[in-house]
Amino acid sequence: MERISVKKVHQLAKQLMFSLSEQEAKDIVNEFDTLLSQLDLLNRIDTSDCEELVYPFETPTTFFREDVVDHVMDVKDVFLNAPKAENQYFVIPKVVKDNGE
Amino acid sequence: MANNKEMWLQKAHKTIDELHKLQPKLNAVVSFVDVEKQVDEAMDKTGPLAGMPVILKDNVLYKGVRATASSYMLDNYVATYDATVVSKFKEAGAIIVAKSSLDELGMGGSNITSFTGPVHNPYDLSRIAGGSSGGSAALVASGAVDLAIGTDTGDSIRKPAAFCGIVGFKPTYGRISRYGVIPYASSLDHVGYFTREVKLAAEALMLLSGRDDKDMTSISTPLENVVEVLDESLANKRIGIFKNVLDAIDDEDTRALFFDLMDKAKEQGATLVDISMNSNLIKTVLPTYYIIANCEATANHSNLDGVRFGTHEDGDTLEEIMTNTRTKGFGPLIRKRFVIGSYGLMDENQELLLKKAQRVRRKLVEATEKMLESVDVIVAPASSHVAPKLNDPSIDQLSDKYLVAENYMVLGNFTGYPSITIPMGMKNHLPLGINLLSKAYDEKTLLQIAFQLEKLTGLKGLKAKVEL
Repeated sequence: MERISVKKVHQLAKQLMFSLSEQEAKDIVNEFDTLLSQLDLLNRIDTSDCEELVYPFETPTTFFREDVVDHVMDVKDVFLNAPKAENQYFVIPKVVKDNGE
Repeated sequence: MANNKEMWLQKAHKTIDELHKLQPKLNAVVSFVDVEKQVDEAMDKTGPLAGMPVILKDNVLYKGVRATASSYMLDNYVATYDATVVSKFKEAGAIIVAKSSLDELGMGGSNITSFTGPVHNPYDLSRIAGGSSGGSAALVASGAVDLAIGTDTGDSIRKPAAFCGIVGFKPTYGRISRYGVIPYASSLDHVGYFTREVKLAAEALMLLSGRDDKDMTSISTPLENVVEVLDESLANKRIGIFKNVLDAIDDEDTRALFFDLMDKAKEQGATLVDISMNSNLIKTVLPTYYIIANCEATANHSNLDGVRFGTHEDGDTLEEIMTNTRTKGFGPLIRKRFVIGSYGLMDENQELLLKKAQRVRRKLVEATEKMLESVDVIVAPASSHVAPKLNDPSIDQLSDKYLVAENYMVLGNFTGYPSITIPMGMKNHLPLGINLLSKAYDEKTLLQIAFQLEKLTGLKGLKAKVEL
């Protein structure tokens, strides 16, 4: 696997919706070297004969319940922690601009 | 009942006073909780937890109380519902007195990354309590409370238990509902707790466990009565000594305490069996965990955006609001972990990273299952050393000691098998712990053997004295 670049780290951060200082980005690049060495250990294990294990147990869990209203959240609780709310809407800046963008 | 009210209210207030006194030393509490209404509602309850002051790790939701997960991102977040474990505490009459500090969002092994500052070890304030459940561990170890909830994603109950000289228990995955617990990595997260004796851990399990339809990973497998059978002797019990871990530990004191305890167990009739897994495979525990946990955490916390709840930073566009909020809201360790997680989730990397890690996880689980075929429990020191100093220099992250001895307990998270750490001795007045792992759903055998080992150590009820 290729070494990650500072530019790539900033790109990933942008996609994650936060920004990093230059020093942070460089620190992450340096940590990647250690991580890649550790990941190399994974490549020594032959996993060609098995599937991914996503959860500890693979016992199916399904259940049906009666179609009755249950576990309702009061609308005041929905908005209790909202930074900006109005008429039961979360308020954000306009996303679709007037020119259609 | 009127007597209960007065007595329990006094007990709760006394506990809160104690917590306030400890706070400048341990820095383990994030929020204190009002107790009057709780005591009123608990008055007619009976049982081992009735009237008992307890603590919740601050990633557990208690309606009307702040739940910060020790992250600035959730500094102002007030829970709008109770976690199932809180409902169970209420049914049992326990009195929740405080929310405890953790590593930010549960992601860490030291409890130094909380936005309220590091938690200090009650045995030595210049040392870490361990993480991520360090706040709960420190407060139980200090004697302020007898029981505190933690969560364990990569040994985050069992390691701080060792560093703080107490019992740290995580049952089988899904045994205790995760509903209402802020997640870290959902396929690894377990709800568990700290006590100072194995018996209380067993009693608490009977009250906190059970199928919960609000948590789809909650198990329906019934739990046997683990309290009634605690006193079964060690005779005919097979104890597997995890050789890979012991070979990676060079600290003579740790080894001596461990083998001394094993000798005592043998004298009581236990059979000791050396067990091991492939040495290349055991070294993959940490990187496998790192990839899976960071990928899952990155996805889980994509909802922290400053729009519907949590702290909020202004911006001219939605993207600016989210970016400004998340930049300020997350600490540097979290940002780093999310970058790594995001890297693993990229389409072009998933096969080589996330899926590879998930396949290696299966290999690790199969190897652990195989080890447990011939024994009742697997045991090893919970750590190769006592609690590190708060400003410890970084260790060699590619050494066997770090990869194996300090991280093998994550096998308990990969497998979902029940696991417990209990104190095994002291080194220079600092505690060391022993960890046990049993088969899935077999909390009964795990707790029985832990109870007997606890008798042999003579360390039941061990408490730190914090100079106030």
